[in-house]
Amino acid sequence: MIMKLNFFLFFFIFFSKFAFSAEKTIDPNLIHKNLRCLVCQGQSISDSNSDFAQTVKLVVKDLIDEGKTEEEIYEFMSDKYGEWIVFKPQLNIQNSLLWILPYIVLIFGGFLIFTFFKKRQ
Amino acid sequence: MLSNLGNILLFLNVILSLSIIYSANKNLKISGEVDKNIFQLSLIQSTSIIICFFVLIAAFIISDFSLITVYQNSHSLKPLFYKIAGTWGNHEGSLLLWAIILSIFSFLFLVYNKNHPKKFRLLTLIIQNILILGFLFFILFNSNPFSKISPIPSEGLGLNPILQDPALAIHPPLLYVGFVGASIYFSAAIASLITNYSEKSFSLSIKNWVLISWCFQTLGILVGSIWAYYELGWGGFWFWDPVENASLLPWFAMTALFHSLIVFEKRNLFYFWVIILCLITFTLSVTGTFLVRSGILNSVHTFASDPTRGIYILIFLSLMIFGSIFLLFQKYKKGNYDLNRNSKETFILVNNWFMMFYLITVLLGTIYPIFTDALTDNKISVGPPFYNAIIFPVVVVFLLFMALGPKAKWIKNKFENIRIYFLILTGAIGFNLAIIFFFKSYSLLSNFIIISALFLIISSLMDIAKALKKNKLDFARIISHTSFGFLVLFIGLNDIFSLEKDYNIKLGETKKFENYSIQLQNLDLKNYKNYQAVIGKLEIKNINSNQTNILNPEIRIYDKPKTLTYEAAIKSSLIKDYYLTMSNIDRSDYYNIKFQKKPLMAWIWISVIMIVVGGSIRLFSNEKNN
Repeated sequence: MIMKLNFFLFFFIFFSKFAFSAEKTIDPNLIHKNLRCLVCQGQSISDSNSDFAQTVKLVVKDLIDEGKTEEEIYEFMSDKYGEWIVFKPQLNIQNSLLWILPYIVLIFGGFLIFTFFKKRQ
Repeated sequence: MLSNLGNILLFLNVILSLSIIYSANKNLKISGEVDKNIFQLSLIQSTSIIICFFVLIAAFIISDFSLITVYQNSHSLKPLFYKIAGTWGNHEGSLLLWAIILSIFSFLFLVYNKNHPKKFRLLTLIIQNILILGFLFFILFNSNPFSKISPIPSEGLGLNPILQDPALAIHPPLLYVGFVGASIYFSAAIASLITNYSEKSFSLSIKNWVLISWCFQTLGILVGSIWAYYELGWGGFWFWDPVENASLLPWFAMTALFHSLIVFEKRNLFYFWVIILCLITFTLSVTGTFLVRSGILNSVHTFASDPTRGIYILIFLSLMIFGSIFLLFQKYKKGNYDLNRNSKETFILVNNWFMMFYLITVLLGTIYPIFTDALTDNKISVGPPFYNAIIFPVVVVFLLFMALGPKAKWIKNKFENIRIYFLILTGAIGFNLAIIFFFKSYSLLSNFIIISALFLIISSLMDIAKALKKNKLDFARIISHTSFGFLVLFIGLNDIFSLEKDYNIKLGETKKFENYSIQLQNLDLKNYKNYQAVIGKLEIKNINSNQTNILNPEIRIYDKPKTLTYEAAIKSSLIKDYYLTMSNIDRSDYYNIKFQKKPLMAWIWISVIMIVVGGSIRLFSNEKNN
């Protein structure tokens, strides 16, 4: 028990020191990767060489300079071009099944294995 | 001429399939061995479909543009290698490849399973031939590679240049062996249900086929992502593109299947679950084909889409699904779930549990946009951020199970020496901290992933040490599991330590960032057989070590068909890849260059190869034991 406690203490001290020290500036590349190039076939803005992609990159740069957060930029983009442009589907009622169902399957599977298939003595 | 020959062979195959079904059905009612005629028919069937394919290859080699398929996908000036590879680089030709694999697997299954009940073997053959017929009809009436065009064009349209690539030439055949190979255990599962062949020995009839298809599927996915890495020019190797997902879905099902087969073979548990997995695997393969070929999804790969194909495949798919479900309900018996929570059986089920989770997540992500589009007219994209958010946290737990599971004993397990796992975990955390200390810090989730991957690696390596002492070593499992741990580790490190810079640069200009400088030194225009290229000469200099690398990205202008492609320049080493793409900016003398440093790329590929090596070892040891 003490070993366990020690262990977790050790774990948390180090994590609080290292894990959260990552920088918090917005990386435009990351945003480009999460936006779809609307004139291409399944490419992101970051990967595309099209004029459309070049324009969007400029818009993103402006938005970052204006001090918008990452989420605000995605919102701006999907207001302007439709939800199709963001690779991360929004958390709303329409997409609720998409976000929740995988975890329902996970929980149900766990229940099945660890509770339902009990050895009958 | 070739067109007629091809069509005759296709018709011959329809007749052969029908006669196999007929004679197998007749043979079912007679006792004794399987009729020799059936073997012969099956052999002739495989041979004639292969000849049929060679006829198509010949048409491509001699550029016979009287065939629409050749006209649309080839060009007389194309290098011979790509003329041949073009045969399966299109919808019609690839379907013929499907038919070949269906037929060969059908024949080999019949030959190699002599120890199993006659009824079961014959029924498998019948079902497989019904599948073959389904595909032959599809080929003949909808996607005939031997369809003629008149007047005969003097020149072909050419093959999409991004498909003119050695990796892409071998990628489809590998994948097809994988997911068309799954057809044979689909047929076997149905035959087993109908004939009530549910003994343990059923697993022996299919397990090697599952392994073969799994190995090829894995290699196919690997080659596909290597191709995406150097050909698509964005430096990534996996984009959660619908077509990539389509190849991954059957892979999850296969992986779950050969794990649960272990339990079935050993303990005679989960018969129906095994059957369901057999059915799901091939169903997913066909679903993938439907999604790709119908053009219902937007993807980098939708070069072969046409709605009428979609409807045919959809009908075929529905018949498969409803047929299987109907049969399952007919035959379902309450199974035996006699297992302990802490036992090898349960841990292997845990594999299936996670595989189903991955499968559902990827399936849902792939088809959800279709539903929102149809129901609400609202098109959404489900891309990498979704999969990363849903799947990666779960991978952490999965890796821990993957480390612990194989150590468990059958029936009733007791983990001795829990202390050792804490030691391993501490070791993994130590390694992780060392990485952070010497390089840089990263997000909390990345920390967990690296730690759990290290946990799996260390504990697998300790298994080797322990097993060597006892001289009882399960190489296949250890190699595959360790390599999977390495795969996750390298993907994680690659993601964390990748560096990406994007510049607009003029000839002669130098840009500096971190400890690198990059200079566009020269631009060169060259003419090749089937394209023109603007070749850039860029010097990447590591300021700290004073090392320089010259990279030559290209902008290619292909003639037939007229397309612009961007060829990445990649400098690979075991430690890192430099990756550079260049594109022109219209109406200016600037070039857009994208530089990436991708650490440990080579090790990602090597890890996947090692996973397959593990699978192959299992296959060979199975063969030896039989």
